[in-house]
Amino acid sequence: MITNPSFVIHPPQISSRKSTPSIHFSNFNSSQAIPIAYDSKRRCDVFDMHNELVPYAKAWTWQKSIVEERKKLVDKNEDLCDSVIILQHPSVYTLGIGSSEDHLKGIKNFYRTDRGGEVTYHGPGQLVMYPILNLRYHTMDLHWYLRALEEVVIRVLSSCFTIKAARHEGLTGVWFGDQKVAAIGVRASKWITHHGVSVNVTADLTPFDRIVPCGIQDRQVGSIKELLRQPLSFEECGKLHFTDDQLVNATYESLMKEFSEVFQVQLCMKPRPYYTENNISRLTV
Amino acid sequence: MAMRLWASKSASYFKISVFNRGFATVLKDLKYADSHEWVKVEGSSATVGITDHAQDHLGDVVYVELPELGTAVTQGSSFGAVESVKATSDINSPVSGKVVEVNKELDESPGLVNGSPYEKGWIMKVELSNNDELKSLMDSDSYSKFCDEEDAKH
Repeated sequence: MITNPSFVIHPPQISSRKSTPSIHFSNFNSSQAIPIAYDSKRRCDVFDMHNELVPYAKAWTWQKSIVEERKKLVDKNEDLCDSVIILQHPSVYTLGIGSSEDHLKGIKNFYRTDRGGEVTYHGPGQLVMYPILNLRYHTMDLHWYLRALEEVVIRVLSSCFTIKAARHEGLTGVWFGDQKVAAIGVRASKWITHHGVSVNVTADLTPFDRIVPCGIQDRQVGSIKELLRQPLSFEECGKLHFTDDQLVNATYESLMKEFSEVFQVQLCMKPRPYYTENNISRLTV
Repeated sequence: MAMRLWASKSASYFKISVFNRGFATVLKDLKYADSHEWVKVEGSSATVGITDHAQDHLGDVVYVELPELGTAVTQGSSFGAVESVKATSDINSPVSGKVVEVNKELDESPGLVNGSPYEKGWIMKVELSNNDELKSLMDSDSYSKFCDEEDAKH
């Protein structure tokens, strides 16, 4: 069971600077999503690899195998538990099913995936969360699901870093001003989700310059580390000294807490799977 | 169309049952799967698409992943996908057989699925391998009732 975050950063509150971000807390009400008592919350297994670089193909194969197992369980009415994987990827560009390769600006090495959304970049310092949820046990509405994923990240940024991030109408993801801090792209197969959300914590953002991120031309990409660097005043400058590891660990802890709150699930830590170059060992779901 | 979509999305978002079944069309002479695909059978050939209810809940379809010609499809299994705003959903075949034609118009105009889900937004044509499977599908009245029950739960 995940406990409260052991390390919470409280930097000076970030305020708007060049742009005026739409600062308003979401009115998402997770308590309307699942009307069940605490002790009958749906279980969600957590595969924590938040400090590991898992090759993209391995993670995708792994997710697909979990989804297939879950679909069989659904047929037998035995789908008792959701899953969530959290990890980092080595540097990689990925496209959604309908993504235009134009947004790759000539890059040749990329994965064409089966998720929604346009091109994005994953790399070290970016936390990627892949919830494999059966939306029949949550809300059978993909739009709700996207808003819920955004809600998780908005709450993390607020509670852990006092960063007031927001949604932008029509632009899925989590934003601070015109900087996108978290990107989302999902797939649902018989209401079982995979793919998910990526949050830039300490990631080097220059690889995003080589693409048109998410196909959106006139916006930027941001990270928690960069947002925390922006000082409010000269006196505040230099007061923040957090290591990259501390930022990643704090974000991970907060993501797990907010994820369990928004989706009203009971988290259950599972051992990380052992995988070789050729396969990922089958997991009990 | 936009109002209907807004109503559907808002209803889901705020968990209110305002979604009026009177909005979404259900055609009489088609058969329906509980995963919201329709099939129009003409002899041993069938045309498949997604229902008005499905496209309404999805929102604007931005991409349709079509199956390859000649692919075998099985009742209940995924044969393609539709994407609407960062979320891709599998579409499942209501029948088994072989894909003999796909609607290439959807490459340029995926919105046909929204605007004309039963006609111009058809997705594939299948040469049926087992007409008996049609018995397990719903008729228009059963499907309407099924949609009402599903919407009432959420």
